[in-house]
Amino acid sequence: MRLRGTLILALSWTCLAATMAAAAPPRLAGELDTDSFKALLAAQKGKVVLVNFWATWCVPCREEFPDLSRLQRSLAPRGLRVIGISTDFAGQKAQVEQFLAEMNPSFPNYRRKSGGDEQTFIEAVDPGWGGELPFSVLFAADGRKVKVFSGKRSLADYEKEIAAVLKKGR
Amino acid sequence: MRLARFFLVTAVLVALCSAASAASPEIGSPAPAFDLTTLEGKSVSLADATKSHKAVVVIFIATKCPYSNAYNVRMRDLAAAYEKQGVMFLGINSNNTEPEAEVRSHAREHGLAFPIAKDPGNKVADLYDAKRTPEVFVVTPDGKLRYHGRIDENSEDASQVKSPDLKNALDALLAGRTLEKAETKAFGCTIKRA
Repeated sequence: MRLRGTLILALSWTCLAATMAAAAPPRLAGELDTDSFKALLAAQKGKVVLVNFWATWCVPCREEFPDLSRLQRSLAPRGLRVIGISTDFAGQKAQVEQFLAEMNPSFPNYRRKSGGDEQTFIEAVDPGWGGELPFSVLFAADGRKVKVFSGKRSLADYEKEIAAVLKKGR
Repeated sequence: MRLARFFLVTAVLVALCSAASAASPEIGSPAPAFDLTTLEGKSVSLADATKSHKAVVVIFIATKCPYSNAYNVRMRDLAAAYEKQGVMFLGINSNNTEPEAEVRSHAREHGLAFPIAKDPGNKVADLYDAKRTPEVFVVTPDGKLRYHGRIDENSEDASQVKSPDLKNALDALLAGRTLEKAETKAFGCTIKRA
C-alpha cells in the first residue's frame, strides 16, 4: 500500500517536471532570412545596433557572450541595442535553446533560417564576411554600417567602438 | 636626393602591392606549386598530379568545423564520381589545431577516401591565400587555376542545393566548356593558422 503511494507520488513528480519542461518558453525570438534580417535592422532606426553572429559550437562565441549582455545592460540607456543571431543548423535548435537558457542574455536572439543561398545572406550582412565566428557588425543610429568585428573582442574593445558611435549620434 | 627617395618609396609600394596580389592566385593564372605528404605517407606534388589528371580539386578541409563537416558526404561522393572521369581530389588540412592523427581518424570515420595531407605551418594555405574550410581550388593539366570558391550554396541541406558550383565547374572543364561561374565565395570556418 505504501509502495503504491510512493509510486503514484514519483509518477506525479515526473509528469509535473515533464509538463514544466515542455512549457518552458523558447528563448529564440525567431528565424531570419535575408529579407527579415534587413527588416529587423530597419526597425531599429534611431538606435545604435550591434549584431553578433554566433554558434553553440563556437568556443570564442560562448566566451564573449556574457560580455554582450553586459554591453546591452550598460549601454542600452544611451541608445544601444544588441541583437544575437545564431548560425547553428536546424538540427542544433535544442542546443541553441539550452545555451540561451544557461546564458539568459539581456538581448534578443534569432537563428539564421535554414535554406536559401548562404552567399546572399552573408552579402546582406557584410560582403567581407566568410562565415567565421564570432562576427559582429555595428550600425549607427541612422542605419549606416560603421564597423565589423571578425573574431572575439574584449568588452573594453566593444565599449570603446560603441561609445564613439553613440557619442557621434548625439 | 628627393628624386631618389621618391623612387625608393615607389619601389617599396610596388613590391608591397605585388606581394599582396601574389597571395591570391587569379582565375587563369598558374596555380602555386606545392609538395605535401599524404596521411598514408605518400608524396604528392601538384605538378605531378595535374600532369596525370584532367583536373585536380584542392579542398581545404577541417575536422572540427561544422561547415566543413556538413560537406563530408558531398565531398566523398563528388570525389568518387569524378575520380572515374580522371579528376583527383586532394584534401588539405592546414589547421594547426587539428593534429595528423585526428585528421586520419576523421577521414576514416567519414569515409573520405581521397588523398588528404596535413599542411605544416599552413604554407600551402598561405600560397593560395585560402581562408576558410571548406574552400576549393580547381587546377587543370596546364597548371592553371580554373575555379575557386565553394562546393555549393547550401552547406546545411544537400537536398536543397540549387547551385552545385563545384560540380558545374568540373562538368564544364571536362566538356571543354567555359565556366559560367569560375569564382564563388567560400563560406565556412577560418583556417586556424600557426
